[in-house]
Amino acid sequence: MIPLPEIEPPLINASGILSYPEVFAAFESAGACLGGYVTKSVGPREKPGNENPVVVYPPEGAVLNSLALPTQSAEDWERDLEEIKLKNAKLIVSVYGGDSREFAGVTRRMSRFGDAIEVNLGCPNKEPGEQTIMESIGQNPALSAEVIERVRDETDKPVIAKLSPNSDYLAVADSCMSAGADALGCGNTLGPGLAVDIQSRAAILAGTTGGISGPALKPINLRMTYEAYARFGCPIVAYGGIETWEDAVEYILAGASVLGIGTAFMRKSTHEAAALTRDIWEGVQEYLGGEPMSALIGAAHRPADGGGSDA
Amino acid sequence: MRSVFKVVENRLESEWTHTIFFDEEIESRPGQFMMVWLPRLGEKPFTLSYPNAVTVKKAGAFTEKLAAVKPGDEIGLRGPLGQGYPPLKKPALIGGGVGIAELRLLALASEAPSFVLGGRTADEILFYEEFRELGPVHVATEDGALGHKGLVTELLPVEADSYAVCGPERMMAACLPKLPAERTYFAVERYMKCAVGLCGQCTCSGWRVCTDGPIFPATTVAQMDDFGKRRRSKSGKWEKV
Repeated sequence: MIPLPEIEPPLINASGILSYPEVFAAFESAGACLGGYVTKSVGPREKPGNENPVVVYPPEGAVLNSLALPTQSAEDWERDLEEIKLKNAKLIVSVYGGDSREFAGVTRRMSRFGDAIEVNLGCPNKEPGEQTIMESIGQNPALSAEVIERVRDETDKPVIAKLSPNSDYLAVADSCMSAGADALGCGNTLGPGLAVDIQSRAAILAGTTGGISGPALKPINLRMTYEAYARFGCPIVAYGGIETWEDAVEYILAGASVLGIGTAFMRKSTHEAAALTRDIWEGVQEYLGGEPMSALIGAAHRPADGGGSDA
Repeated sequence: MRSVFKVVENRLESEWTHTIFFDEEIESRPGQFMMVWLPRLGEKPFTLSYPNAVTVKKAGAFTEKLAAVKPGDEIGLRGPLGQGYPPLKKPALIGGGVGIAELRLLALASEAPSFVLGGRTADEILFYEEFRELGPVHVATEDGALGHKGLVTELLPVEADSYAVCGPERMMAACLPKLPAERTYFAVERYMKCAVGLCGQCTCSGWRVCTDGPIFPATTVAQMDDFGKRRRSKSGKWEKV
């Protein structure tokens, strides 16, 4: 297994959030407390994604997005990543394709730019006429393993298999780990879900349905993190509803070693978003009280002091 | 949150431009924007020209449809979003084309505004009579039908305490070196998707226009290498401005 690069502090953005290297550089300049940045998922060929609206936020703490993986070509991404460099933070390149061959082709081009490669197995969005990656690959342990195996062949960087919460994720994770994944991403957005406008009687998202993120996702991906840690004990990059230091600590105790922030950046200027990352990290550090974070990763799995025996 | 409003009037401003009034006023800062949604057709950003209206120039499938709405039709609005203008003293409001519409609420909120407006022809100088009641109006038209024959930048510099510029990006880029950076604001436009700072699609040299802008101080705009040069299209691929 190839260890994840040292991401210090262990906070990153989620893929599809902020997305572009110049935005990462702006966050870095603004003093954001993010030790790494994940690109928007890079696909094999240019694709516009869904029409607007691509985002809806009903008041229940859920955000639905149906961007459906817009991407410039992998060649254009190469040019971007050559042009715009980060000062200190690590770069994780997220990759996708329609099949294992396409995943491999994108990885071949992207490997030299990334300190790690994140494999998007769980995107629940699609343009009309497409199938989601979640359905076509991410819910299938054998096909997911085939993708990871081919990505593994193309890179000597650590490979993170990012899973869908809407899958038999432990079975998928099991086959991905056997196929050479070094870490698990827990996880993608949930669903997809639906929002309907009752006045116009129309689905609001142009893509009809959209992946669910935000506070509503937290208990689900927290559970995925917990279960994956218990089963594999591998490094876990966790995503889903992290808005405060308490959320981050919960994920650490469940087993996460890197924490991804996404929807919490909603409606925040770069300075406000950077301040949020500092608040989260300062809160985590205060909670740690000088202990290394590694001492608390997965601590929720350990029995209470005294061994938990009543006898 | 998104709400659906009823259209109450579709006012023809010029051959290509309509102001769409809806049935409720929205409280916003001048310069903030709304995502206007036509159910089943799409969603695009507009700055309010009245507290209850947006002004739209027909330039593509979505704006054609929006310009064709009738009283009683429904449109969705999400916002107000983004950063508006700070309060401006004695501003010169410099507008080009349909960008003039975005300066109307700022003009009404400002003390002693003056105007420097440009368009291809007289028809494009929106709110000309109304603005003349608020302060001096300097006009440039490319065909010379109204005011100076030529470009709006040829009327600069003008005397004012502050400046707000809204128009086509190449016009704004030409204004940038002619105005005092510490007292000037630009309305930057990029292709927007989520409009709430998540997706990063509207980046201009790393600033997300939807949440860091769309109104930026010229001191910031001067640091944007991409301003006036390139922007990301729907797919993220660069295109020339």
